[in-house]
Amino acid sequence: MRTSDLYREEIIDHAKNPRNFGKISQPDLEHKENNPLCGDEIEIQLKFDHKKCVYQVAFHGEGCSISQAAASMLTEKIKGKSLSELEKLSSQDVLDLIGTPLTPARLKCALLALEALKKGLKDFSKQ
Amino acid sequence: MFDVSKIKKDFPIFRQKINGQPLIYLDSAATTQKPQAVIDTLKDFYENHNANTHRGIYQLSERATALYEGAREKVRQFIGARELEEVIFTSGTTESINLVAYSWGRKNIKPGDEILITEMEHHSNIVPWQLLAKEKKAKLVFLPVADNGLLKVDEFDKLLTAKTKLLAIIHVSNVLGVVNPLKEIIAKAHTEGIPVLVDGAQAVPHFSVDVSELDCDFYAFSGHKMLGPSGIGVLYGKKEILEEMPPFMGGGDMIKEVTKQDASWNDLPWKFEAGTMPVAQAVGLGAAIDYLKEIGLENIWQYEQELIAYTWDKIKTVPGVTIFGPSPKEAKERCGVLAFNVSGVHPHDIASIFDEAGIAIRAGHHCAQPLLERFGVKATARASFYLYNDKAEIDKMIETTNKAYKIFQ
Repeated sequence: MRTSDLYREEIIDHAKNPRNFGKISQPDLEHKENNPLCGDEIEIQLKFDHKKCVYQVAFHGEGCSISQAAASMLTEKIKGKSLSELEKLSSQDVLDLIGTPLTPARLKCALLALEALKKGLKDFSKQ
Repeated sequence: MFDVSKIKKDFPIFRQKINGQPLIYLDSAATTQKPQAVIDTLKDFYENHNANTHRGIYQLSERATALYEGAREKVRQFIGARELEEVIFTSGTTESINLVAYSWGRKNIKPGDEILITEMEHHSNIVPWQLLAKEKKAKLVFLPVADNGLLKVDEFDKLLTAKTKLLAIIHVSNVLGVVNPLKEIIAKAHTEGIPVLVDGAQAVPHFSVDVSELDCDFYAFSGHKMLGPSGIGVLYGKKEILEEMPPFMGGGDMIKEVTKQDASWNDLPWKFEAGTMPVAQAVGLGAAIDYLKEIGLENIWQYEQELIAYTWDKIKTVPGVTIFGPSPKEAKERCGVLAFNVSGVHPHDIASIFDEAGIAIRAGHHCAQPLLERFGVKATARASFYLYNDKAEIDKMIETTNKAYKIFQ
């Protein structure tokens, strides 16, 4: 049997040992998103420094390996990024991190963390 | 003689490959594949007989009507209904149950009444009753499920009270494969004068159901889960009850006469068939029934028993596997549905790994969230079998389950 194309080592590693997993106290931004189809759930939290760059980031939640690995990878990527850089993040950026083609059903899993971040940013900018 | 390789050839969908591998379809509890005979019947109807029913004076309409009503007669015979008036075409099980909830339920359920259902119901036999209960200030009561997945029938007496006005129960669980002992349950409910609705979506495709023998008051099922087209289903109801029920939907064909302010209703079963019905689909369902009868439901049932016993013995040897529902030994009767989880692997990841191997299974809550909650899980993987599956496919399924476990270990 072929080895899995989707579940390359890096994804499994992030799913099993998610980076920045947990909670931070008094975050500047937090937002929870879920995917009712899968029951995936991710809450993302950020703290900004005085230059409005991410200096602390955490996520927690549960779900399939794709949603958890994508969240883990995304939190690694956004550390130190400025607000405007965060706003520019696109779905493609996350898919590049995942690095393997996804079926439409799994796309939602992969983009859940980004969606949580984007909605959190929207609320944050209104404050 | 049950020849699965011959049967498989009747289903054109299996000519294709998924990810370069033959399609292995293990999601028949969601919907079944269609034999050539059903596909040809649909094509033939649209090419040669298409017209609206019960309306035209012209020959084509008469032919379409005869085919549509002929399909009703096939359904009547297939489920052992006494009268044609007792067989109502709907869009599927969901609409059948909603019809009863709106029409019978609104007339008969009063504040403080109780509707008894079970913990293993599909959402289609929960939500219509929730809507009704909220509207009427009635209460939903749940017959519990034991750890082995069997219904706790011994608690039935306790839950059946003077307030109980209806029992709505699934015949075969779409998650656990459990076949509920309906004859005994229905007889008990009837001694208290309580009518019984049965959700038979997972039963009718797999074994012979006789509604008159069961003595249920309503029986709902779908065409697409029994080799027929989607968009067609059936509500069986006892004639004397249906006659007392107000219409569900208003529109064409369900009336005798309409004035500006009033209308009178058509006879059964048409009183409940408003608007243009899915005529081709009904005729297609008739073709599916012909096909199932030719193979023989008894043969299909026996074969499924063989498949589920084979799968059970193999899958329990895979490390980390938890199976939901009774073993074939624990349950005298068990349908070919197997819900399982692999430790450390989310069900959606199991399904993706299966998909890479060309195997279609379901992952999620299977529209039975209260049941999954009872077992303390949010989702499971689920393989479900039908007459076109074989042991070689199950071997591949077991191999892939092993692989899923290893990838995440």
